[in-house]
Amino acid sequence: MMGISEYFESARIAYQAIIANKTRAFLTSLGIVIGIFFVIMMGWFLDGLDNAFDKTINAIGTDMLYVDKWSWGGSDDWRSVQKRKPISYQQALEASKKMTTAELVAPHASKWGGKITYQGNTLGSVSIVGVTAPFVNTPIGNLKEGRFFSETEDVHSVEVVILGYKVANAFFPDRSPLGEIMRINGRKFLVIGVVNKRGTIITDFIDNQVFIPIQTFMGMFGTARRGVQIAVKAGSQELLDEVREETRVIARQVRNLQPGEEDDFTINESQMFRDEISTLRLYVWGIGIGLTGLSFFVGIIGIMNIMFVSVTERTKEIGIRKALGAKNRSIMWQFLVESSTLCLFGAFIGFLLCATVIFAITSAFPDVDFLTPYVPLHLLFIASIVSIIVGIFAGLIPAYRASRLDPVEALRYE
Amino acid sequence: MNNMNNDIIINIEDVAKTYQMGAETVHALRSVSLQIRKNEYIAIMGPSGSGKSTMMNIVGCLDTPTKGTYLFENENVATMNDNELADIRNRKIGFVFQTFNLLARASTLKNVELPLVYAGVKKDERQQRAFAALESVGLQDRTHHKPNELSGGQRQRVAIARALVTKPSIILADEPTGNLDSKTGVEIMRLFGELWKNGNTVILVTHEEDIARHAHRIVRIRDGMIESDTINPSPAEV
Repeated sequence: MMGISEYFESARIAYQAIIANKTRAFLTSLGIVIGIFFVIMMGWFLDGLDNAFDKTINAIGTDMLYVDKWSWGGSDDWRSVQKRKPISYQQALEASKKMTTAELVAPHASKWGGKITYQGNTLGSVSIVGVTAPFVNTPIGNLKEGRFFSETEDVHSVEVVILGYKVANAFFPDRSPLGEIMRINGRKFLVIGVVNKRGTIITDFIDNQVFIPIQTFMGMFGTARRGVQIAVKAGSQELLDEVREETRVIARQVRNLQPGEEDDFTINESQMFRDEISTLRLYVWGIGIGLTGLSFFVGIIGIMNIMFVSVTERTKEIGIRKALGAKNRSIMWQFLVESSTLCLFGAFIGFLLCATVIFAITSAFPDVDFLTPYVPLHLLFIASIVSIIVGIFAGLIPAYRASRLDPVEALRYE
Repeated sequence: MNNMNNDIIINIEDVAKTYQMGAETVHALRSVSLQIRKNEYIAIMGPSGSGKSTMMNIVGCLDTPTKGTYLFENENVATMNDNELADIRNRKIGFVFQTFNLLARASTLKNVELPLVYAGVKKDERQQRAFAALESVGLQDRTHHKPNELSGGQRQRVAIARALVTKPSIILADEPTGNLDSKTGVEIMRLFGELWKNGNTVILVTHEEDIARHAHRIVRIRDGMIESDTINPSPAEV
């Protein structure tokens, strides 16, 4: 068994060898620096993406189901989806009455490409969403300021509006929009609330919405051919399966589907975004691993090369150590520690580089809020482990060769 | 085994060493038998090409013979593997080389500690023993100097301290004064004389008569054979 003193001795030698050749050590470990840089940047970005995903499903509601003609996921056959009849307001109301397990069942409808005007400024392509008063209990009821409209306001088609975060920000970057009068597709509305920011990288659009009472919406855009969606709030994630099952049965009833017929609606939920995220993840991961692998490959060759040089340079030293009683494994260990220390040193530089770049990126783009302005510590841990393994791998052949040197030959070397 | 035999540290019987140099077989040692007892002061002499260096490498367990037996304190060294040999060298042999062979980047103290590192001695004890060894060669105030900050004589004394630090069975010195001026050489030889007086077994490997005459027994090697093995009737005192 190798003594602990030998371990420290090896680490000390490795440290001295690196200090003695700083420039060489730096150049040698450049491949590792870049490799670690890619690993950490990839990890950081994926962490950000996961964060964004969590925020997204929270914004949509982890216990929410949305019955719609359209599918969010895109897994259903697009052409058959297009042929589906829109869900009518009547069907939505009927479904709401029949549902027993859900905490809330409410119809809502939306119109894309709405136009909002305030004091001569116009914002196009805003989604206008007609909702009912109970929507205050869904994620859009999570208001930054103001209030949601009441049932009375809904029933009486009052012209009040709750602005999405982006819309509010576009018109009123530095003041409250509450109490202002804005025109939506030409009609005057009183701003009574602003929704909290909900969107992230892939769901930015959900902040580009305004919410008005559904009766007002129907009055403006009609109900005949306009489809509505049914929002179903399960109350908790545990109840989701049960509620989804009932929703499906009741939706089939109100759509008059016969047994054997396929569903002509989709029950959308936040989890569907997982598909989109996982595709993006896969790309980032693939590119990251590709670049990392390439850098490590170059890095390993560099380290291996310098370790061969180091072994040759120190042939005499190896001879001396062997004469004094160093066993083969001690010599091997010494060079493995040296190559891993080199890599660890590279990892450390790579980490500093990442920290700098990450800080620069997040400072330059403060709006991209899903990117955290710090390097997650577990990535530093992973990077260290990876670099040590890479170091051992790169040092293996040179270290083995060093360990097998004949002491007589090595002592004679000048 | 009688008392006399218990005293034998090195027992070499009919040892030969051959090397393959391309198509040619080189007989570095043809047949050598040699016994060395505890607290002997012996010189192994021979001109270059005599097989003297090969003899030293085998005695020092840096190399194993092609033929014959070599018992080091009754352990058969001839059949040992690399690691077993390293262990013998570490515990039982103290080397002193012509070119000192100190590690340039390490301090005097670290150099002397090195054999103890490989012996697995803990740091405190290691430093204590290394310091004591340096003290015994008169270098206690040079512990933190690097080899290149020392004179040749001082470097060789560091090497001797390093050889002594494990309390080895033999001290094997290969041309220990070869790189020193004659005055310093004399000082080093005086040190070897003291080591012998303190009960150490000293083996000098040299081609210089001046050095060999300090020993009490002189073994001459020529053409891979022992030419003569004589007692030195009047060892030189310094």
